[in-house]
Amino acid sequence: MWDQIKQALHQSMAKFLTSLTHLLPGFIAIIVAVLVSFVLAWILAIMVRRLLTSIRFDERLNRWGFASIGDWSPMNSPTLLVSRTAAFLVIITGFLIGIAAFDAESTWLLIRSVFDYIPNIVGAMLVLLVGGIIASFLARSVLIGAVNLNLQYARLLSLGVKWMVMVLTVAMALDHLKIAPGIVELAFGILFGGIVLTLVLAIALNSRELVSKSLERDVKDVSKENIEEPFRHI
Amino acid sequence: MDVDSIPQQTPEKIAQIDSADLVVGILSGVDLDGLLTLCDGLRALAGSPRTVVLQNVAIGGAASNSQAGDANSSVSLVPWSVLAPDPAASPIQSISTAYELLFAATQKLGARACCLIASQLENSTPDWICKLLNPLLSSEFDLVLPYFEPHKVHGLLNSSIVYPLTRCLYGKRIHNPLGPDVGVSRRLTQKLLGPNRNGGSAPTHPLASLTPGAVCGNMQICQVHAGTRIYPSMDWTNMSSLMAQVLGPIFLEMERWAACWQRTRGSAAVATFGDRISLPQETAELDLNRMIETFQLGVRDLQEIWSLVLPPATLFELRKLSRLAPDRVYMPDELWARIVYDFALAHRLRTINRDHLLRSMTPLYLAWVVSYAREFEIAGPMPVDQRIERLALAYEAAKPYFISRWRWPDRFNP
Repeated sequence: MWDQIKQALHQSMAKFLTSLTHLLPGFIAIIVAVLVSFVLAWILAIMVRRLLTSIRFDERLNRWGFASIGDWSPMNSPTLLVSRTAAFLVIITGFLIGIAAFDAESTWLLIRSVFDYIPNIVGAMLVLLVGGIIASFLARSVLIGAVNLNLQYARLLSLGVKWMVMVLTVAMALDHLKIAPGIVELAFGILFGGIVLTLVLAIALNSRELVSKSLERDVKDVSKENIEEPFRHI
Repeated sequence: MDVDSIPQQTPEKIAQIDSADLVVGILSGVDLDGLLTLCDGLRALAGSPRTVVLQNVAIGGAASNSQAGDANSSVSLVPWSVLAPDPAASPIQSISTAYELLFAATQKLGARACCLIASQLENSTPDWICKLLNPLLSSEFDLVLPYFEPHKVHGLLNSSIVYPLTRCLYGKRIHNPLGPDVGVSRRLTQKLLGPNRNGGSAPTHPLASLTPGAVCGNMQICQVHAGTRIYPSMDWTNMSSLMAQVLGPIFLEMERWAACWQRTRGSAAVATFGDRISLPQETAELDLNRMIETFQLGVRDLQEIWSLVLPPATLFELRKLSRLAPDRVYMPDELWARIVYDFALAHRLRTINRDHLLRSMTPLYLAWVVSYAREFEIAGPMPVDQRIERLALAYEAAKPYFISRWRWPDRFNP
């Protein structure tokens, strides 16, 4: 009886040790991959930070109308945000490569699906970036135009336009990421419609005079106006 | 610009003419009767120069050669469609094209000089166009500009920015550097149409290039007293596009001729012909309260843009101004001159989108207009040119500040 128990324990221990020896290279691979990725991430972060500092990235972002990025960046520096994000991505990639060293089929499938998803993430980030640039540009155009037209709700109008473009951009990015497409479509429709309705009401209630003046101007002789316009004040 | 690009039948008409001594382009300001009187005046010019008159068919119809005189007349009329070829082009592009076409026609015909007329004058006959041409033909002048009597309310963009800035930068007291009526010698048209016309930079408006090009090219410039100009009614609520259209080319030229104007100190008068014709000026009402509101709104909402362009001390001054009671808002000339210089520098550095930059200057311009108009209200009647002279001196006093910022834009500027 005792021999049988002893034999079973030996067999279990042997199985456990065999499994452990199978797993050990994987663990070591993960540790090495993570360590290497840490070193690479550190080097990359320094390089990115130096590059962005040399081109005055923080200043340029402010000029391009992305001043708000500084608010949610570490130490109010978008340069640090970008360099740390780049470093984080390298560490994550190293970790995933380390996991792939386990050679288990399910792990491999997981890694593959994660890597297959990367183009979607990159695409969504690009959509967000372009959308952000367009939103800032349009918001600034609307703000300046509305101030020059003496519209007291200039900032509201500018914010409305900015959020309209941002909502559209985020919806497109989420659609690209294939995250709850049905809900995103519905939420986008409601939000977009809501913003448009708010803006239309704000403009219609405050700008009747402005619209009538604009229409009056339109019916004037366009050809003569075109020639005289730039000379009026010089 | 090649003469082949002259729209519609104009190239064929010009091709039928072998050569000419003068080319006169009429954009607007001369009706059919005026055109016929002008033709008589041109025939009476010393030496009876052979003249080609390009008449804009969009304004007031076209006169035929038979109406203008006999077939052997020294004056030929050629219809000219100014707004072609691209109907979608902005007005400033269309006018730019008109100037380039005129210069191209001058080159093609080997004319000694050309002249373009675009404004309408009060109590004036087309004879003044001949006065504009005389210095080109009888003297060695390369650029003749009109000297319109300064108006209290009209032409303020010229009085507040274009004239004082041009005078201060290039050192010549040219009162209407942007014409729009100009007389140009062949030498200057060659320079303007030459291969290095833009020095590799973005294309600019030929009108904006004229004065800096002539001054920095050591050419002879003069003015002709042209009387009082009739300004069409101004839409003060839509100033921003005008600011962008007018100031954009001026700031581009400033960048192009930086080496020239940085060497210039002070300013000197240029030769001026004719007698001043001062007529009583009708007073136009300005909605000062609305302008102040726009300025206050600008201070409230455009801070994030202005803070990229203006130094903290200027922003502080503006905030102080915006908090004053509307009847006490007064922008000193020194502050205004520095604001213009800071915007010119931001335009050069592309601190923000250039169109946004120039449009965002509108509330500040309106604040200066309010201060200017208030001065007349308080001080009573005073000569407009005295007031403009004071402003020009403020620009000249602030020029060292501008040169310093232009050369070292990153230097600490409180």
